[in-house]
Amino acid sequence: MSMTSPIIETNESYLKKVEKVHKQNRIKSLLKGLLFLLPSIILFGVFVFYPLFRTIYLSFFLTDAKGATTVFVGWEHYVNMFTDPIFLKSIKNTFLFVIYTVPVTVIISLFLAVIANEKLKGIGFFRTIFSSTMGVSVAAASVFWLYLFNPTMGLLNEFLQMFELDPIGWLTDPKWALISVAVTTIWMNVGFTFLILLGGLQSIDSSLYESADIEGSSYFYKLRRITIPLLSPTLFFVITVSIINSFQTFGQIDILTQGGPANETNLIVYSIYREAFVNYQFGSASAQAVVLFIIILIMTAIQFKVGERRVHYQ
Amino acid sequence: MKKLSFMLTLIAVLLLAACGGGSSDSSSGSGGQTEDGKQIVTFWHSMGGAGQDALNSIVEDFNASQDKIEVVAEYQGTYDESLTKFNAVAGTDSAPTMIQTFEIGTMSMINSGNIKPIQDLIDEDGYDMSGLEENIVNYYSLDGKFYSMPFNSSTPVMYYNKDAFAAAGLDHENPPATFEEIEEVSKKIGEANDGMKGFALQAYGWLWEQLLANQGALLLNNDNGRTGTPTEIGWTEEEGKSILNWVKRMVDDGTFANYGTNGDNMIAGFLAGDVAMFLQSSASARDVIDSADFEVGIAFLPHPGDKERQGVVIGGASLWMIDGKPEEETKAAWEFMKYLQTPEVQGKWHVGTGYFAINPEAYETDIVKEAWEEMPQLKVTVEQLQSTKSSYATQGALMDMLPEGRKIMETALETIYNGGDVDEAYETAVKQFNEAIETANRARGE
Repeated sequence: MSMTSPIIETNESYLKKVEKVHKQNRIKSLLKGLLFLLPSIILFGVFVFYPLFRTIYLSFFLTDAKGATTVFVGWEHYVNMFTDPIFLKSIKNTFLFVIYTVPVTVIISLFLAVIANEKLKGIGFFRTIFSSTMGVSVAAASVFWLYLFNPTMGLLNEFLQMFELDPIGWLTDPKWALISVAVTTIWMNVGFTFLILLGGLQSIDSSLYESADIEGSSYFYKLRRITIPLLSPTLFFVITVSIINSFQTFGQIDILTQGGPANETNLIVYSIYREAFVNYQFGSASAQAVVLFIIILIMTAIQFKVGERRVHYQ
Repeated sequence: MKKLSFMLTLIAVLLLAACGGGSSDSSSGSGGQTEDGKQIVTFWHSMGGAGQDALNSIVEDFNASQDKIEVVAEYQGTYDESLTKFNAVAGTDSAPTMIQTFEIGTMSMINSGNIKPIQDLIDEDGYDMSGLEENIVNYYSLDGKFYSMPFNSSTPVMYYNKDAFAAAGLDHENPPATFEEIEEVSKKIGEANDGMKGFALQAYGWLWEQLLANQGALLLNNDNGRTGTPTEIGWTEEEGKSILNWVKRMVDDGTFANYGTNGDNMIAGFLAGDVAMFLQSSASARDVIDSADFEVGIAFLPHPGDKERQGVVIGGASLWMIDGKPEEETKAAWEFMKYLQTPEVQGKWHVGTGYFAINPEAYETDIVKEAWEEMPQLKVTVEQLQSTKSSYATQGALMDMLPEGRKIMETALETIYNGGDVDEAYETAVKQFNEAIETANRARGE
């Protein structure tokens, strides 16, 4: 017995030593890792996390025109928000807007990407054309559409008149305004979405198509069984980004309708802007921003839960 | 696949960067001197279009007229946008020497604590403000003290298409003056001019305020905030609804042209002969007269038939001196402000834009006399102002929540344009308006 115990002891102390070294290594690599992350931690801290916490803080106060806090009101902004018809309308319209824009954008872009993926002479020209709206800024695109929608000299109403139809108040009729803004947005987003989807299509291994050809599969069979499944990570990315973008739509609203007619196109980000920089109510604007953040967070979480299952990673 | 996911990450990062970027301002900070030793004065303004051309030429004249001061005029977008930028830089070196702000920003500028009341400079300099238009002095002096220097002032007027009036057999030298007359005339114009719409009212809160004032109604209680902090709206249900009902009747008649909140589209429609009458600031007068290929008439703002015409509130903007600048800079800006009040400059300004001259002596200058002979319409805006009866209603309201109030009324008007119910739209608007006043009072934390 007396022989074995020292051995065990040495064994234990040896294990302890090993553990110590392991621990030291872990701390070292953690520090090293943090060092590498430091630039982004600082940047995110300054430009994302600090503003985020500041926004949450502001949402519990009333403020003066400069945004300095004056009176603590607790949860009042949040409570009021959900009884405020303007805010509820802006939430409803934001969701409608997402439903109008995201599926149509993705379907049109997917169609364009599939046909532009064919190896034909001069296809580069069409690829450039299809992706060209990416190079147009929101402001320029909105002004361009503003002229198309113009009630007096707009091209769209001229067309209608050619077929002897009544002109439409594209941006002033509550039935049409949100649709008009959605059309503008779809047009603007197609370029970017198209480019990403085309990139996804081109990275699909061509040997898969060759094998399918040998088996004599039809075009649509290949599209359904090879293209779409292998494109699913890209599609998933595109849909997530499009939804977030739609929730954050601002520029085209500001230029085309300014939230009108009668708040019909007052989407949530525009409503935040107006609350903060027209009404100078930074408190309730911050509360709205927090709610928007939570909505987007939930939407994205749901997408990752539901969407990811259908995504096929190679 | 690796390549793809790398690309996606890269794009995500770029997107984030793009979203976080926002607009960067390149506008110079104020102060300092030019290379040849002139004192620089930075002047933020909100004059676009013809107004910007006229203003730039005035600034050039001023810079050329002496060799000590160099005024740098910077366009900062609309009054709303400019005020937002100013609030962001107030108290830092990037703040301008002077800024032009709209009349409803008066109260929030005073409350901001970032400005130097020009009364200080008036007293120091012994400058005489009594030469200015009486109604302007009424609006901009609070308890006898000037906080800002009046500069560009306009009133709302009714523009009308004289040719369309003639085609309908109407006397185009005798335009309609009341709500009811406008309805009648609109119907006749529609019949005679192949469905031309009779009347357009831009959904613009400022016009709502003016239509109230013209029937002697207050916007806010406590005498429009002149005798105490307002606690609720000042107009009565009858006064408020008279405007909404008037619009509603024209919408039902099919004589009303809806351009929403977009004033440019409305003017384009007028110029293209789609609509025969519209209300707008007299500041657009020169632009409209020059661009129309028909005879443009300008008339007084209409009022309900059962009320007497009270006149209009001063619209437009004034110039604010920013506090905390070196004394030489402030002095230099003051020299420029005084220059702007001279009859010659005001005459040129009036003729170039349609804003009226805040210094009545300008109407005696040759440039104005000549222009009036050529364009007698420009005179209407001056006559309308001078026949305004001075009261709390026509002095205009003072409160920091007025921009919000305007948006609320615009929503109510647009609801009516699209066939909404008058009672419902009115109740909603009044409720929101009162809530906005209440919140603004609480937010001051006094």
